[in-house]
Amino acid sequence: MIKKNTGWIIAGLTVLLLITAIYSATVGTADISFKEVVWITLSEVPLINRYVTAPEGSPRTIVVLIRLPRIVLGIIAGISLSVSGTSMQGIFKNPMASPFILGVSAGGGLGAAVGFFLGVSFFYLPLLAFLTALGTVFLVFALGRVRGKTDVATLLLAGLAMNFLMSGLTSYIRYMSPPDKMVQMQILSFMLGNLNEAAWNQIYITLPIMIVGVALVFAYSRDLNVIQMGEGSALQLGVDVETTKFVQLVTSSLLAATMVAFTGIIGFVGLMIPHGARLMVGPEHKRLIPTAALMGGIFLILCDTISRMMGEIPVGIITVLLGSPFFIYLLIRNRGDTGW
Amino acid sequence: MVGILEVKELTTGYGEKEVLKNISFDLKDGEVLGIIGPNGSGKSTLIKAITGVIPIWSGEVNYDKKNIDELHRRERAHIIGVVPQDTFINFPFTSWEVVMMGRNPYLGRFENPKKEDDLAVKKAMEATKTLRFKDQSVRELSGGELQRVVVARALAQEPNLIFLDEATSHLDIGHKLEIMDLMKDRVKQRDVGVLSIHHNLNLAARYCDKIVLLDEGKVHAKGSPKEVLTRAHLRAVYGIEAEVDKNPRDGSLYVTPIKRKVMKEDKEEVVHVVCGGGTGGTLLKELVEHGYEVTTGVLNVMDSDQKMADFLDLRCVTEAPFSSISEKTKSENLKLIKEADLVMGTDFAIGPGNLDNLKDLLYAAESGKKVVLLERTGFQKRNHVGSKGDKIYRELTAKSDVKIFTGIEEIMRKLDEGNI
Repeated sequence: MIKKNTGWIIAGLTVLLLITAIYSATVGTADISFKEVVWITLSEVPLINRYVTAPEGSPRTIVVLIRLPRIVLGIIAGISLSVSGTSMQGIFKNPMASPFILGVSAGGGLGAAVGFFLGVSFFYLPLLAFLTALGTVFLVFALGRVRGKTDVATLLLAGLAMNFLMSGLTSYIRYMSPPDKMVQMQILSFMLGNLNEAAWNQIYITLPIMIVGVALVFAYSRDLNVIQMGEGSALQLGVDVETTKFVQLVTSSLLAATMVAFTGIIGFVGLMIPHGARLMVGPEHKRLIPTAALMGGIFLILCDTISRMMGEIPVGIITVLLGSPFFIYLLIRNRGDTGW
Repeated sequence: MVGILEVKELTTGYGEKEVLKNISFDLKDGEVLGIIGPNGSGKSTLIKAITGVIPIWSGEVNYDKKNIDELHRRERAHIIGVVPQDTFINFPFTSWEVVMMGRNPYLGRFENPKKEDDLAVKKAMEATKTLRFKDQSVRELSGGELQRVVVARALAQEPNLIFLDEATSHLDIGHKLEIMDLMKDRVKQRDVGVLSIHHNLNLAARYCDKIVLLDEGKVHAKGSPKEVLTRAHLRAVYGIEAEVDKNPRDGSLYVTPIKRKVMKEDKEEVVHVVCGGGTGGTLLKELVEHGYEVTTGVLNVMDSDQKMADFLDLRCVTEAPFSSISEKTKSENLKLIKEADLVMGTDFAIGPGNLDNLKDLLYAAESGKKVVLLERTGFQKRNHVGSKGDKIYRELTAKSDVKIFTGIEEIMRKLDEGNI
C-alpha cells in the first residue's frame, strides 16, 4: 500500500462532504431543489451575499433554520467523534477503543437522565450532561494515575468500571421515573443520540470546541505515531509521552463530552470511522486524522438523512445498523490478516 | 572527536524498590560495551535509566561532559538510539514509516520530513537490507525482518551511541550475527559507541571490547572479556560451572556451560579420593554436587581425573606427567588422607608408577580411616604389577573398615543415608 495520494483523497472527501450536505438539505417533505439549496446557502454567507441573492419565503426558512443547522451539527458531531475515536485508539494502541471508553457517554447519560427526571430546562440540560460526562472522565483519570504517570491499562479498566457504575445509576433513574412516557422517551432518545434539536446557537458553541480540539489532536499527531512503538521507545525517540497522553485524552474526552451534551450518545461513529479511514490512508496520524474527520462528517449526515427519511428515528440507531454490517465486513475481510 | 559516555555511581529503581546501586562505567565512541548478568540483575533497567525512561535516584550520566539527564528528550535522542528486545505494533505502519520515526527527534511539531530525513531513512534501510519491503506493513513482517526495521530506525536516528536491549535474543543465529556484525561495522566506520545487553555469553565474548557483569543490581566485574568471563565470576553470578576456552579460529573466548552448580547444603565431611585414568571423574563430581569437601591425589598432570579435579577446584596432589610418584608428593597425599573423614579408592589401573596410590589406601585403612572401594572391572584386570599388587590388595580388602561397591550410585546413596 502506497499512500502518496492522500492529498487527493482529502480533496475528494471534502467535495463529497459538501455534496452530501447539500443533497441532505434537499431531502424532506418540502420539495427544495439542489440548486435552490446552493443559492440559499450562498446568500447567507457574508461577502458572497453581495453577489448572490435568493428569494425570501418558506424554502429559505426551512433550509436556513431547520435543515442547515441540523446538517452542520451533524458534520461537527461526525468530525468530533471520529477524531476523538482516532485519538483514543492511538493512545490505547487498541483498535477497539472509542470516544466513550473513559466513561464520557455513561457519565453524560446519567446527567441527562437526572435532568430529564427533574425536568431541567432544555437550556441547562446539555450543561448538566457535559459536566457529568467530564466529571466521570476526571474520576477515571484520578484512578488511572500511577506514581504521577497515566497508566493506560489501569485507565482502560477504570473507564470500564465507571461506565458500568454510571450506566447502572442511569438504569436506576429510568426505573424510578414515572411511567410518564415523556421522560422515558427523552432518556431513550438521548441514549440513542439524535440531531433533532439542532439549532444555530448549538453550533456557535460546538464549532469552536471542535476546531480547537481537532487542531490539538492534529498537533500531537506525530507523537501519536511514535507512541505506537511503545511508550518506552517513544520516550527514547524524543516524545514527551506524558504530555502527549494528557493532551490527547483530555482533548478527545472534551470533544466527545461536548457532542454527547448536544446530540446524546451517537454510537459507533467514533469506533468505526477510524478503521475505514485507516483502510484508505494507513495508520499514519497526520493523514489519518483529517481523513477520519471528513469521513465522520459524511457518514453522520448520510445516517441522519436516512433517519429523517424514515420518520425521525434516532440517528444512533442508523449509525449502528449501518455501521455494524460494515464492521463485520471489515472483520471478514481482514480475518486472520495482520490487523486493522 | 571521540565522545565518552560516563556513568557515575548510578542508583535507580522502581517505586520504593532499588534495582541498581552505584553503577559506574564508561563507553567511548568506537567501542562495543557488553552488559551481562542473570535475569533480574538490572540490565534493562540500566538502559531505561540512562535513556530517561525511569528517573535516576542518584549519580549522574554524562556524555561529552554534559549531564544528559538535564538535556531535553529530543536532544538526548540525538545522542542515544535504542533497539528494544521486541516491538509490538498494532496498526499497519509501513516499514518506511517506522524507520522514519527515527527522525522524530529532528522534526519540529509541524515539520514534514525533508530530503535529508528521506536520505537518512533510505541509508539505514539499505544498511539493514530492509529497503525492499519499505512499503510493506510491519505487521506482515517476520520477527527477524521487523527487528531489522527497528535497527534501521535506530540507525536513522543517527545517534552517537546505540543501545541494544537484548535486541537479538529472539532472532535465529544468522540474524543475531548479522545485526551484531552490522553494529561492529558501524563502530569501526563511523565512530559510534554500542552498548549491548546480552544473554548469550558467547555473543558478548565475540563482539564486545569491554564487558560489565551485573549481579543483583551491582557491578560484579568489568573489563575485557578475558577479565570478566572467568569461571570464578560465572560460578559466583550465574551459579554455573562452565569451561572458558579460546576459540582457535579468531581467538575470541567461548563459554561452555557444563552444569548448574547444585546448591545442596554443604556437608562437614571431607572425602579423599584416590583415583586416576578417568576412573574417578564422575565420582569426584558427584561428591562435590552432594556437598562434600573433596580432595584427591596423587594424580599425574594431564590425567583426565586431574583435569576434572582442576575444573572442580579441588585440593589435589599432582605429579608431573607420566612420572612415578615421588617421596614428596606421596607425603602430601598422606597428609590429605589424614585430614579426610573418609577415603575412597577407584578401580584405576595399577602400574609401577602409581603402585604407591594403592599403598596409600592400605595406609588409610591401617590408620583407622573408613575406606570405600569402587570395583567395577575386577582387580586382576587392572593389576599390572603382578604379585606385589595382589598382596597389598588382599591386605586392604581384609580390613574390617573397608567396603567394596560396584557402582557410584550405590556409594552415593549409602553415603547420603549415612550407612558408610
